[in-house]
Amino acid sequence: MTEKKKGKLTKVLDYLKHEDPFSKGVAFCPGCGLELLLRFIPQVLGNDIVITGTPSCSAPVLLGQNNQSWHTLSYFGTLMTGAAANATGLARYYRKAGIKNTVVCFNGDGTAADIGFGNLSGAAERNEPFIYICYDNEGYMNTGIQKSGTTPYGATTTTTPLGSASKGKNLRRMNLGLKMAMHKIPYAATATLSDLEDLAKKLLKAKEAKERGFAFLHIFAPCTTGWGYAPENTIEVCRRAVKTNYFPLWEAVNGKIRMTKTVKKPQPVSTYTELIKKFAHLNEADLQILQDDIDYEYCMLGGLSVLEGECQLPVSSED
Amino acid sequence: MSSNKFLKHEGPWSDANDPLMCSDTGGWRTKRPVVDKDNCIFCGFCAIYCPIQIMEMVENSHFSVDLRFCKGCGICAKECPKNAISMIAEGDFQK
Repeated sequence: MTEKKKGKLTKVLDYLKHEDPFSKGVAFCPGCGLELLLRFIPQVLGNDIVITGTPSCSAPVLLGQNNQSWHTLSYFGTLMTGAAANATGLARYYRKAGIKNTVVCFNGDGTAADIGFGNLSGAAERNEPFIYICYDNEGYMNTGIQKSGTTPYGATTTTTPLGSASKGKNLRRMNLGLKMAMHKIPYAATATLSDLEDLAKKLLKAKEAKERGFAFLHIFAPCTTGWGYAPENTIEVCRRAVKTNYFPLWEAVNGKIRMTKTVKKPQPVSTYTELIKKFAHLNEADLQILQDDIDYEYCMLGGLSVLEGECQLPVSSED
Repeated sequence: MSSNKFLKHEGPWSDANDPLMCSDTGGWRTKRPVVDKDNCIFCGFCAIYCPIQIMEMVENSHFSVDLRFCKGCGICAKECPKNAISMIAEGDFQK
């Protein structure tokens, strides 16, 4: 039409080289971060990937219902205790058969951080050639919002409710991404949905890295139903999580950590928690505990990203 | 034994050779996104952030919504840098 309208199209569209294999009307909540992630991955990596996954919010769609399917990808549904072990088998089959494709093990944080962490760690140690993606919605959302290992301090879930005896989860969350980076696997990274270009780059790097071995992606995907925020805020929640260093974006190649996005002036965590109902009851003291935990993890990450390579073993002085 | 039928897939679940399942997710919507064509600067943020990926390019000038499947989450309206998308209650479109 008119000339002025031709603005610059976002670069993210250049990464979406393949078709969306999903049918348009699938059973995800309105504003679901997982739906955006699930449609994004095959558009970047290609439709020839093989997904294996476990019971989770993604499973009803990925597995299909009755004898019909929601998408045209290959999917293999497994138990939560053996997700990475199943992906190992698939990857080894394709290697033996000489078939070139990408095995993506796509799980929630319940499988990755709690139930299936043992064999995830084992697969990382054996350096199996596949991509493991953990979409982190900080709880078991599909079964009714129970707490998981990555649920942050203070968050209310159905197993850590708000009441006279309990004020949400009283334990800190684990840092799954960092734990996996410590395995010194070829590629480990965190990503989120507010920075899709970063996510696309990391997906492509993971695909490249899986030629050398295990690739792990920890992707922050908020849950509008379980966390209690307005559906239109999904991307805003991700953005604020990055801006407050609640979920810093980094990548680790062979264990060497590099920040992919540094926030110059991190905002206090209250700018993130104010959007979300599961944190609504937190007072100043509770927020401080959460903030201290975030600062601790960020400091550790910063230290690791600087020290790697320069670090020298302490020399014992002889007396 | 020519009557033997081999299953194409080992799993008993779903077969993508049949037509894909598709729900009428447009019926979930309470608010409808309406794109202001004049304000649209064609940046594509609504298209990339739409969870259902249903924003379609029209003549390289603006984006339009596929209302058959739009669940009405409002992410497009929130992320539009020019506020060119407004969410209007479905009742206003009833005649």
